[in-house]
Amino acid sequence: MDAKKSGTFVKITFFSILAIIAVVFLTAVSSIVKLVIISALMAYVLDPAANLFESRGMTRTSATAAIFIIISGLIGISYLVLLPLLSEEIKSLKDGFHPENTAVMVSRIEELLVSNLSFLGVRDLHLLGRLQNSMARTGDWMFGHVLDAASLITSLILIPFIVFFLMKDGREFQKAFVSIMPNRYFEFTLYLFHKLNTQIGNFLRGQFIDAIIVGIFSVFAMWLVGVKYYFLIGVFAGLANLIPYFGPITGALLAVILSILQTGGFQMALYVIIAFTLIKLLDDAIVQPVIVAKSVHMHPLTVLLAVLAGGKLFGILGMLLSVPVVGFLKVVLHEGIMNYRKYGIKAV
Amino acid sequence: MSKFWENFFKFRERQKNGREAILLKIPVFQELTPRELKTIQRILHQREYTEAEVIFAEGDIGLGMYIIEKGIVQIACKNEHHILAELAEGDFFGELALLDDAPRSASAVAKTPATLLCFFKPELLDLIERDPKLGSKILFRLAWTIGERLKSTNEQVKELMCVAQKRTGVTE
Repeated sequence: MDAKKSGTFVKITFFSILAIIAVVFLTAVSSIVKLVIISALMAYVLDPAANLFESRGMTRTSATAAIFIIISGLIGISYLVLLPLLSEEIKSLKDGFHPENTAVMVSRIEELLVSNLSFLGVRDLHLLGRLQNSMARTGDWMFGHVLDAASLITSLILIPFIVFFLMKDGREFQKAFVSIMPNRYFEFTLYLFHKLNTQIGNFLRGQFIDAIIVGIFSVFAMWLVGVKYYFLIGVFAGLANLIPYFGPITGALLAVILSILQTGGFQMALYVIIAFTLIKLLDDAIVQPVIVAKSVHMHPLTVLLAVLAGGKLFGILGMLLSVPVVGFLKVVLHEGIMNYRKYGIKAV
Repeated sequence: MSKFWENFFKFRERQKNGREAILLKIPVFQELTPRELKTIQRILHQREYTEAEVIFAEGDIGLGMYIIEKGIVQIACKNEHHILAELAEGDFFGELALLDDAPRSASAVAKTPATLLCFFKPELLDLIERDPKLGSKILFRLAWTIGERLKSTNEQVKELMCVAQKRTGVTE
């Protein structure tokens, strides 16, 4: 009995040390881990397309290559058509705002705040200066991080490379991983993979398609309302939609601020709010139930806390990845506990 | 010349004698072409079991079927400790798990060191998605196999009913 206990202790110690080494190693190579995670998510999203090509008689390699050719084509078209527009809008944002009515509007808000909140010590806010500064900084940040960062170029080369091999050989990787599992846990490991593939895969694909639809709706709505940076706002709203709860609000908020600054009044802002409310309603009522259905069912509070924790720990990327990661943990823990209780899976 | 062709066919036969020959014995894979069999072979998992090792226990999650490539496997009821069947090379078990999500209804234990080939539901679903023709062929054969089993069960039930009727007749 004592020998059995000490054996278990040795096993636990060994696996704990192994886990600590793995965590330390992964933290040391965190930038590569990030690239692999992003690539894995992209491979997940693109997997059904590769399956579709395969079902038309192509081999896995040629199906993956075909998808890359199509994506390259789409990126090429976007580069020619959309990037000049996006770049123009970011540059214009970088130069700051100078319409007179914006200055009038901001100073009017400042006067209102000073006269009503003077008891709180609110004096000389210099809102316009601060706003212009932050706008220029935002523009710089976007220019620096989105358009011409050196690390981005490395990522742009590495990510497609990793995605290609994950898509082409993903099944072999999974099979190799399962093959090293002990006989007792091998079927359960495959079962977990199956659950993760269906639930997390559906969630990611759903979110991705949802983001594209919301982005298109937003671009169209902002163009219709007459907002100056309609394309930039639409793209931002679509991407922000990938982050539950915070994304749609942030997208709408950016549009409202830009529309106020553009016109100096609230009328356009009101139209923008109505447009985003309609988009959100449409998204919640039609797009989400159809596209994001069958994915991981998580309590809204869990999602909210996961997004907050992800944001706190790893910034925007953390917010983006928090839901799939928590979903992954949920599936693993849920299935593990359920099967432990129901079928009595015992430790070897 | 005839010697050449004889050797050539022998070579083909030898090749077939391996895993392909075992797969061709399984009703689910019987009508597949050599190319399709290769596709199946790529998605099968090969596992080695030692003597008396549990392959799966009654009540475990069932994910698919096992094909015996080498060795002997016993199917047993956990509660009653009685052996339901003893299976050898070329036999298969657990195919119902390819269709339903119910836990395993019996345990499987390797009587001798065994090599098993595993064909599981996630791979079958994936196959249906990327090669619908092959997927439907397998599903059809799977339905046929289960139909055959149902017919034989019906026969057994009939026989048992006859025996029971005779016995009640005798006692009356």
